Amino acid sequence: MATQGPVIVLPGDQIDPSLIPSRPKKALKLGPGLRHIPPNELVPTVAGQLTTDHKKNSIWVEYNGGRYIPAVGDLVIGTVQRSAAEYFYVTLTDYTSNALLPQLAFEMATKKTRPNLNPGALVYARVCLANRHMDPELECVSPATGKADGLGPLNGGMLYDVSLGLARRLLMRKSLEDGKVAVLEELGAAGLAFETAVGRNGKVWVNSESVKTVLIVGRAIQETDEKNLSVDQQKKLVRKLIKEVS
Amino acid sequence: MPREAEPSLNERAFVVQALQEGLRIDGRALDQFRELDLKFGDQYGVADLTLGKTRIFAKVSAEVTTPYTDRPFDGIFTITTELSPMASPSFEVNRPTETEIMLSRLLEKTVRRSNALDTESLCLVSGQKCWSIRVDLHVLSHDGNLIDASCLAVVAALRHFRKPDTSIEGETLTIYTPAEREPVPLSWLHSPLCVTFSFFGEEADIVVMDANLLEEQLRVTSFTISFNKHGEICQGAKLGGTTVEAMTLIKCANDALDKVKELTTWLDLKLVEDSKRRDKGGLMAELSAENER
Repeated sequence: MATQGPVIVLPGDQIDPSLIPSRPKKALKLGPGLRHIPPNELVPTVAGQLTTDHKKNSIWVEYNGGRYIPAVGDLVIGTVQRSAAEYFYVTLTDYTSNALLPQLAFEMATKKTRPNLNPGALVYARVCLANRHMDPELECVSPATGKADGLGPLNGGMLYDVSLGLARRLLMRKSLEDGKVAVLEELGAAGLAFETAVGRNGKVWVNSESVKTVLIVGRAIQETDEKNLSVDQQKKLVRKLIKEVS
Repeated sequence: MPREAEPSLNERAFVVQALQEGLRIDGRALDQFRELDLKFGDQYGVADLTLGKTRIFAKVSAEVTTPYTDRPFDGIFTITTELSPMASPSFEVNRPTETEIMLSRLLEKTVRRSNALDTESLCLVSGQKCWSIRVDLHVLSHDGNLIDASCLAVVAALRHFRKPDTSIEGETLTIYTPAEREPVPLSWLHSPLCVTFSFFGEEADIVVMDANLLEEQLRVTSFTISFNKHGEICQGAKLGGTTVEAMTLIKCANDALDKVKELTTWLDLKLVEDSKRRDKGGLMAELSAENER
């Protein structure tokens, strides 16, 4: 099998041993979509692109689809369902069990100054506990510094649903080079002022002073997602949308 | 039963705010339908309709039964709807939600009670034998405006359907297979179609056509009216919700008529296209012994 070009795997496929990163000093890290069958067999459990990172000695399958499964450290956008004595019950995806968000897990929150979130409010949070058979737990504050780092309640704006793959690509540190998404940069370059928050659970929150801007940004993101546009096509789409409005 | 997932407060506020400025989330005009597509199956009477992300599948079938004793000269015509959990997780099998009851009721009123299908023509031997026409409607994907889409799918499937030809000689009733005699279309009198309007704002002064699921969840009230292309009202339903001005409703009715005319023409075109696709030259072409060289 050629090492150049993306390697696509199907569930149960055999993985070419030459593709598995081998650094003697570090332990091999397995990411989502792979299962280790002791003693030394690796089997993909989903269909997708096999990706490796030799520096971190890690291997995982990049795939787009399915339901969001919380993992520790993910940034997510949730909807508050109800609040109890100590927790807010938050939904990350519709029709799944709620995640728990402690009322004190906000910046500067004490028993007297905790935030008051009504049912239906949006929060941007980080997953801090995720086990397979337990409800996940969220936090809106960094436990190390006590700072919010941009997390917390989201006011105003509009929430858009995107695929999990696009949400992941938007959250990449180099979203243009690795993720091949340029819509947001292009929209910003076109002179639109807006703020966004991307949830790993397939949600994008967009806010702006003007309603039109929010609609343009939302449509650009959704169209990029649905039609799976390349970087050039995304640029063209943004130009088209801007022209339509002005 | 899982409750329907409700939109967040931000979405609620934003959708209404945008509508007040005359803008919709998906960039459509207020009276614009989503993209419509209709495919017919290989069999007669199978229609697969997509309206944006809403997808409806309708199948018509016919069998010979005995008519109801109180209506010996009428055939039987039923429409059954099924909203399976595939369309939305909040639907459950065998436990109809309000949406489902409303949908089947409106279809009943629009298609059955307006006598779109001449049930007397389904009678074979009075009091003994008649055709029973059954429409099965499946919602494959639910993204709002089920009523308009379903009505269109049902009408399309019924107009596409062909029932086996029959003949009566004395006491014997013969039903011919498609190979023996070309199946015959139903006796179809007119095509009633629904148009649903959704109202927004405290005074219900913003009128929107073809609402998607999010808009449907946020509307203050809705109004469904059915017309045929001749401008005859078959049914009107405004079930609860905020009161709407009479003048607005009259304007809605006018808009609905225009829309129904447009949809009817579109449907006629699709049926003609399909019949062209099926037409392989008729019996003469089939009987010909000439080979293609």
